[in-house]
Amino acid sequence: MKSWGKWSQTIRIWWGQYTAYRINFFLQVIGPVLVFFFVKYSLWREIYKGIGNSADNPVMIGGFTLDSMLQYHGWILVFSMLTQGNANFDLSTDIRLGKISTYLIYPFNFWEYQTAGFFAFQTLEWPVAFFTASILAACNVIYFPTAAALVGVLMLAMFISILQFTLQFLAGLVAFWLEETWVLRVLLNIITTFLSGAVIPLDLFPQTLKSILAYSPFPYMVYYPVKVAMGLHPLEPKVFIILSAWALVFCTFNVMVWRRGLRLYTGAGM
Amino acid sequence: MEYVIESQNLAKTFRSYEKNPGLWGAIRSLWFRPYKENRAVLDFNLQVKPGEMIALLGPNGAGKTTIMKMWTGIIVPSSGQVQVIGHEPWKRDKQFRKRISLVMGQKSQLWWDIPALDSFLLLQKYYEIPDREFKQRLDMLSSLLQVQDKLKIHVRKLSLGERMKLELLASFLHSPDVIFLDEPTIGLDLVAQENIRNFLLDYHKLHKCTIVVTSHYMADVEALCKRLILIIGGTKHFDGPIEQFTQILGKNKIVTFNFSKAIDFKQDLWPDFEPTWNEMGNQVALRVPTEHLKEVTVQILNEFPVSEFSTEKLPIERVMKKILENPSLARPSGHSSA
Repeated sequence: MKSWGKWSQTIRIWWGQYTAYRINFFLQVIGPVLVFFFVKYSLWREIYKGIGNSADNPVMIGGFTLDSMLQYHGWILVFSMLTQGNANFDLSTDIRLGKISTYLIYPFNFWEYQTAGFFAFQTLEWPVAFFTASILAACNVIYFPTAAALVGVLMLAMFISILQFTLQFLAGLVAFWLEETWVLRVLLNIITTFLSGAVIPLDLFPQTLKSILAYSPFPYMVYYPVKVAMGLHPLEPKVFIILSAWALVFCTFNVMVWRRGLRLYTGAGM
Repeated sequence: MEYVIESQNLAKTFRSYEKNPGLWGAIRSLWFRPYKENRAVLDFNLQVKPGEMIALLGPNGAGKTTIMKMWTGIIVPSSGQVQVIGHEPWKRDKQFRKRISLVMGQKSQLWWDIPALDSFLLLQKYYEIPDREFKQRLDMLSSLLQVQDKLKIHVRKLSLGERMKLELLASFLHSPDVIFLDEPTIGLDLVAQENIRNFLLDYHKLHKCTIVVTSHYMADVEALCKRLILIIGGTKHFDGPIEQFTQILGKNKIVTFNFSKAIDFKQDLWPDFEPTWNEMGNQVALRVPTEHLKEVTVQILNEFPVSEFSTEKLPIERVMKKILENPSLARPSGHSSA
C-alpha cells in the first residue's frame, strides 16, 4: 500500500511536469510522428503514382495496394503514439550533468522514479493516440478492427511500450561511460525504426533478412501489431511471451549496467 | 553507536583526459587522449559523534564535496572504509537513505515546474511519514523558516532565498539523523544567510541531529560549528575546535588604531604585524602576538596621535585566507580529535 502511494504520487508529479508547458507537451507527443507520417504518406503516393497506379489499374507492392500501404502507415502513426513513451527523456544528460544525484538520496529508486514517469507519459499520450486514430478513421485512412481485436492490439501496444522504455533506458545508461550519447541514441532510433518496418513493410525485405529479424524484437515492435490491427494477421499469444522475454533481457542489462555505471558516477555539478 | 560517521583511509580518484585548446587540439583528441588520475581525496580519517555540528573547510577543489558525496552514497569510494549511521553509504540501503538528507546549495532538488507543496507531499510518501506527523512538521518547519505563504507557489517563481528555505524544509521533513549541507547559503544576501543560520541553530537545538556543513562563508562556520575540519588537496590539515583553528597562525589579536591624521606607514614598526591600512592612511589593523600586545599597544599610543583603538580575536576568515595563500601553515593531520 505504501509502495502504491509512492508510485501514484510520483506519477502525479510527472503529470504536473509534463503539463506545465502544454504546447511543448503536444509538440513532443504529436510533432515527430505526425511529420514522419506525412513524409511517408507523400512518398508512398508518389511511388505508386510513378509506377502507374490509378483507380483503373491498381498496383500492388509487396502485397500492398496504395490504400493498404497508407493504412499501414496510418496505423504506425497511432502505434508510435501508443508505444513511443517519453522517448525524448534525456537520461544521458541527467547522468552527465549529475542531475541524478538527488534521486540517489531518496528512498525511492531511480528506476522506479523514471518508470513512474513513463507510465505518467503513457496515460497522457494514449488519449491523444485515440483522438488521432479517430480522425484517421473518419478520413478513411485506417479502419478500426473488431472490439476483441482492438483490445488485443492495445495490449500489444502496452507490452511494446514497456520494451521500448527498457531499451531507451539502456541507451541512456551508456552515459556512465560515454560523455555524449545522442549519436548512439539517434542511431538506435533509426535502426529500430527501419528494422521494425516503420518505413518499409517487412514484406518488402529480403527473405533472409526477414528470417534473421524474426529472432530479434524489431518485427514485433511495429510490423506485427500493425498487421494485426489491419486484420491481416491473427493475434498470437506467443508474441506476448516474446515481447516479455525481450523486455526481461533489457531489464537484466539495465540492472547490470546501472550497478557498474554507478561506480563510475562522479555526481558532477555539485 | 559511538560514531555517526566513520571514515578510515577514505580515498577517491577521478580519471580525466587533458585536451589542448583549439581546432588541432580537438582533432588530436579524437585519437590521442592523455588520461591523468586526479586524487580528489586521500587517506581521509574522521569520526563524528551523534549530535555534532561540523564544518568541512577548504579551497575550491579541496575534496570537501567529494567527501560529502561519498558519505551520502552518491559516489563510490576508490578505497578505504566509510560508515554512516552503521551503513556503507555506497550500498544505498533504503533504511540508510531514510535517515539522511542532503541540501545542495548549487542544485535544486525541488521539482521546478510544480508548487513546493506537491514536492513535499511526494517526499511524505517516499519517507513514509504519517499524515498527522507530516502536517505537524510542515507547520513547524514552514513557521521556523517563515515560508507559510510560499508553499503553493511554483518553485521556478520563487527568489533564490525563498527557494533555499524550501529546499531546507524538504530535507528536514523526515527528521533525518544526519544532515549534509553543501554550501547552503551560497548566493544569498546577508539577511537570508542569517535567517538560514538561525534556522539551523534552532533546529539543531531542538532535534540534536548531526549536521555536516561545507561553506565558503566563514560566518556560516563561525555561527554554526564548534568543530572544523580543514581539507586541502584531498587531505585533512586540521581537525579541532574553532578556537584552536584561529591559533594556527599563533596566538594573535587584531588591534585596530585610528589616528587623528595620516601616518607614515613606511616606518619600521609596521611590517612585523601584517598591517592593513585604509586609503587615507589614518587607520591600521595589526595582527599582534598576544604576548606582545601590551608593549606594542603602549608604544603606538606613545608615538602616534591615536584617537581610538580596539582589540578583537583573529577572525577565522583571516586565518583561512592566510592558509589558502600558504597551505603549509596547516600541516596534514591523519587523526581525528573527535
